[in-house]
Amino acid sequence: MKITTMLGDVLRSLLRPNSTQQYPAERQPDPERLRGKLVWNGEKCTGCALCVKECPALAIELITLDKAAKRFVMRYHIYRCTFCAQCVENCRFGCLQMSNTDWELAAADKSAFTVYYGKEHDIEMARSAQAASTKPEPAEG
Amino acid sequence: MPSERFVIPIGPQHPALKEPGHFEFSVEGERVTGATVRLGYAHRGIEKACEERNWVQSLYLLERICGICSHIHTTAYCLGVERLAGVEVPPRAQAIRVLIAELERVHSHLLWLGVAAHEAGFDTLFMYSWRDRETVMDVLEGLTGNRVNYSANVLGGVKYDLDEARAETIRKGVDYLEARTYYYLELVVHDPVFVQRTRGIGTVTREQAEWLGLVGPAARASNVARDLRVESPYAAYDLFPVQMVLETAGDLEARVSVRLKELFESYRVIRTILDKLPTGEIKGRMPKKVREGETVSRVEAPRGELFYFIKSNGTDKAERVKVRTPTLCNLAPMMTLAIGHQLADMPMLLAGVDPCFSCNDRSIVVRNAQEAETRWTWEQLRRYGIEVYKCKR
Repeated sequence: MKITTMLGDVLRSLLRPNSTQQYPAERQPDPERLRGKLVWNGEKCTGCALCVKECPALAIELITLDKAAKRFVMRYHIYRCTFCAQCVENCRFGCLQMSNTDWELAAADKSAFTVYYGKEHDIEMARSAQAASTKPEPAEG
Repeated sequence: MPSERFVIPIGPQHPALKEPGHFEFSVEGERVTGATVRLGYAHRGIEKACEERNWVQSLYLLERICGICSHIHTTAYCLGVERLAGVEVPPRAQAIRVLIAELERVHSHLLWLGVAAHEAGFDTLFMYSWRDRETVMDVLEGLTGNRVNYSANVLGGVKYDLDEARAETIRKGVDYLEARTYYYLELVVHDPVFVQRTRGIGTVTREQAEWLGLVGPAARASNVARDLRVESPYAAYDLFPVQMVLETAGDLEARVSVRLKELFESYRVIRTILDKLPTGEIKGRMPKKVREGETVSRVEAPRGELFYFIKSNGTDKAERVKVRTPTLCNLAPMMTLAIGHQLADMPMLLAGVDPCFSCNDRSIVVRNAQEAETRWTWEQLRRYGIEVYKCKR
């Protein structure tokens, strides 16, 4: 039976660089397939909502403004997302992608966790429609 | 004169692992005379929740049963649902499933080696095996995009294909890990400190292992030939067969070496898959609704046999999903085996089966805390027996 079986390995490790990385000062390149924030490009979207139906975390909402003119807005709740990329898998038109660079999603403000995608005036419309629907009823008397 | 008897409660906050489980050991001096386990602290109601989600949504929920063997859970579920739906999965997808499952086994066993070493007070080995485990985590991240919860499976196939550049990275990682595994295998059978904690402790004979129903590496360490990859090959294990690794000693040392020797098999299978990956599609077409029926799906998780029962009523939701994880089969035998051992051996004995409590806690019996403990007389028990069989008739 050997004594000090690991001594050689321990001494060799003294000459090795640190195994831990000093994040965030030191960064590894982002893995190509890393699943970060979901990005929606609505140009080809037909509004089939397959991404919404099979989202396990109910993190996506597709707001239809005008189905015939293909005006859609996507509301994406980052805080619910499990980053499984099932929506990317489901989209037949390649509208959805998961960014491999945008993955540091911590924020001090809650509003950063709900993201709207779409044309600017469409987003405005969707936002005001939502604000109107959630406005509390005026108190009587 | 009766000796003093103590009951030592362990957990739920500090068992062998960093997971909640409650154990009670009654001891006479240092010797354990009785052991019980109470589970259910990490119960999350996943099986019930599956009944309210569609087939695809359940997949990602079931992936989160276990943080270590997440891929094997989805594989078991996918194989079951695909069989129910009658979907043909392309051979390339099945091979990639096996590839990820074997990489996952490597990461699980190296993690366990670290945990076992830590329980034995051998923290150098713990640090080094976890450092080396980073290699396989990086390989998995490169292949699927995530270190854990890979989301590689979809119903009908896999999401991620393998190219030559990635295959080369995997080969390099496996070469390094193989050399390290040889070293660790040498170490665990020669290091006097580690051997003192493992040799001749928690010995399970072959008969006991079969009778108590041990599964996985814990059973194979007692020379019980039980490995679903060999016994009933699923996914692509018929194309890429695995040799069963058996040990005869049945003690903790055998459980350590069976796991490490199994890794060489995993490395070999990974290399064979990389060399002979079938060509073709990686996804089959999956219907939204699954026709009525029920099926059983069994796979070999890193810890042993993982069992899924899936029942469909013809809609887009499962009627019932039942999961039995290997830890449940292995914990009860350990409670029997604990008797007669030193109390000091309990952490190693428990860690020896690689328990995973969050995997395990599928169901819970809630008793009314207000209710006083009742004791039955013989007459009451007799009546109970008659009543139960009356209802069955």
